[in-house]
Amino acid sequence: MSGFLELAISGLMSGLVIGLAALALTLVFGVARFANAATGDFMTCGAYAALLGFGATGSMVVGGAVGLAAGALVGMVSYLLVFRTLEGRPSVSALLASIGIGFVIRAVLGVVYGHGQQVFQLPLVRPWRVYDLRIQPNDLKIGITALVALLVVFLVLHATPIGRRMRAVADDPMLARVSGIAPRQVMLALWALSGAVAALAGVLLGIKTVVSPEMGWEMLIPVFAAAVLGGIGHPVGAILAGVLLGVLQEIATPYVGFTYKLALAFVILLAVLLVRPKGLFGRVEGVR
Amino acid sequence: MDAYLIAIAIITAIYVLLALGLNLQYGLTGIVNFGHVGFFCVGAYTTAILSEHGVPLVVSFPLAAVLAMAFAWPLGLVSIRLREDYFAIVSLGFSEVVRLVATSERWLTNGVQGIAGIPKLFAGWLTGPAQSYAVLGLLVAFNALAILAMLRIVRSPFGRMIEAIRDNEEAVKALGKDPAGFKIQVLVLGAALAGLAGAVYAHYIGYISPEQFLPLITFQIWMAIIMGGVGRISGALVGAGILMLFLEGSRFLRDVMPFISEVSMASVRLGVVGLALILFTMYRPQGLMGDFTRK
Repeated sequence: MSGFLELAISGLMSGLVIGLAALALTLVFGVARFANAATGDFMTCGAYAALLGFGATGSMVVGGAVGLAAGALVGMVSYLLVFRTLEGRPSVSALLASIGIGFVIRAVLGVVYGHGQQVFQLPLVRPWRVYDLRIQPNDLKIGITALVALLVVFLVLHATPIGRRMRAVADDPMLARVSGIAPRQVMLALWALSGAVAALAGVLLGIKTVVSPEMGWEMLIPVFAAAVLGGIGHPVGAILAGVLLGVLQEIATPYVGFTYKLALAFVILLAVLLVRPKGLFGRVEGVR
Repeated sequence: MDAYLIAIAIITAIYVLLALGLNLQYGLTGIVNFGHVGFFCVGAYTTAILSEHGVPLVVSFPLAAVLAMAFAWPLGLVSIRLREDYFAIVSLGFSEVVRLVATSERWLTNGVQGIAGIPKLFAGWLTGPAQSYAVLGLLVAFNALAILAMLRIVRSPFGRMIEAIRDNEEAVKALGKDPAGFKIQVLVLGAALAGLAGAVYAHYIGYISPEQFLPLITFQIWMAIIMGGVGRISGALVGAGILMLFLEGSRFLRDVMPFISEVSMASVRLGVVGLALILFTMYRPQGLMGDFTRK
């Protein structure tokens, strides 16, 4: 039983990472109306930047901040250089371009850092024992960080002027424009937010596992599955769906084997698209 | 040198076959298939595994195409009605799952070690250069057949229908036609071409492993058809040629500049494919062979 619970906790942690990345995906999807396939590579950027910051200062907090800043920067740069031009074109163009951006990011990281795996050299901490359960203090910190990040994104969306404008653009771009909202500024803020959230997911994933140029790309299918399951454009849904997916993946591991984790995400994605395309909490659009 | 040129021509012809399939799907019908390599992989493994068990090529070859179709059909059935970007991600996931199965079902595919010693085509009758010429001839025949078939398709009611679906699916629906049915047929046809390409590839290279079927291949083909010109048969030819020039050129570049490691060269190739995808979708969506007067 405690083994089962430990799997569930571990699933909760990886689910929070998936959920954060799904949040980054859904933020852009809800407004720009295309699936940003470079979301995973934004994660990788964040992880490598955090590695750099962590190596220079030895502080994980500074490392994380550097990672977030790098993610936000990459998000804004890709918007300014690529996605701004592609606005109004068929969503396939933006999708293809985002695949291209992901390739370029992976290529740059691969040339600079090589394809080896790197780790955050964090001190080992003895796990806490709660009754039969072993709980890693690091897991707890990761969980708290993810929850705080969710809270911050939620506050930005619902308690700041720029967040209100974002939601307005997401609801109806034309109406927002007529009401005097400058779309460029809103989009820039949105891409920065999405990039930072993705980067945070990358940093947490890097702490939990290892950092490599492909780490984010390999997360794309589960992340997309979580975003769809949560309902596109629904931030809380993305996180909850991510957690659900993470826990399901971990609990299923003893039955389907480690390698078929990804296949499970794929099956869930298909099932959701077939049965309930607007996701668990979807409300924005019933289009699939 | 001769042998080298023939080898290049054979690989190019395989890419052309892949590009023709994707061009039929995306260029003519507007299906955003990000999982093309999955069908290529199914074709390659089908014929490799069958040959391993002594099934003659005459049987295993068509079966490669048939099995690729058999994979495409259910995929189309469950997901072709999705919005195009959703289908794109689903098909990408499909190709990754295919690769995952090829990696982990060791009893069937020998896992990451892959399958070696796949018999060469025409091995019993021909040897040396003559054999390579024969393989090339076979590929040219396949491509010619595929191109002829496509030319026929474009001029047929079916062709007009799929082009109408690409241009305006809602209008097609309003006319009382079922776009999904046509799209599934096109998906299956394109998969058959990819499966065939996979079969030739497996028998030509003689060794396959899951590592050869990364999504990168899919996007290289995408780069080829976008550069060549979407929806044009000449586009598939030109695009595959450019792709080959680029892949082989980068190999020569490494001969000239040996200080670049093979691993970084792979990264550079990845980056160039990415850049090409970005720049062409942004500035020349109609491709090199497309209408020059249009922006």
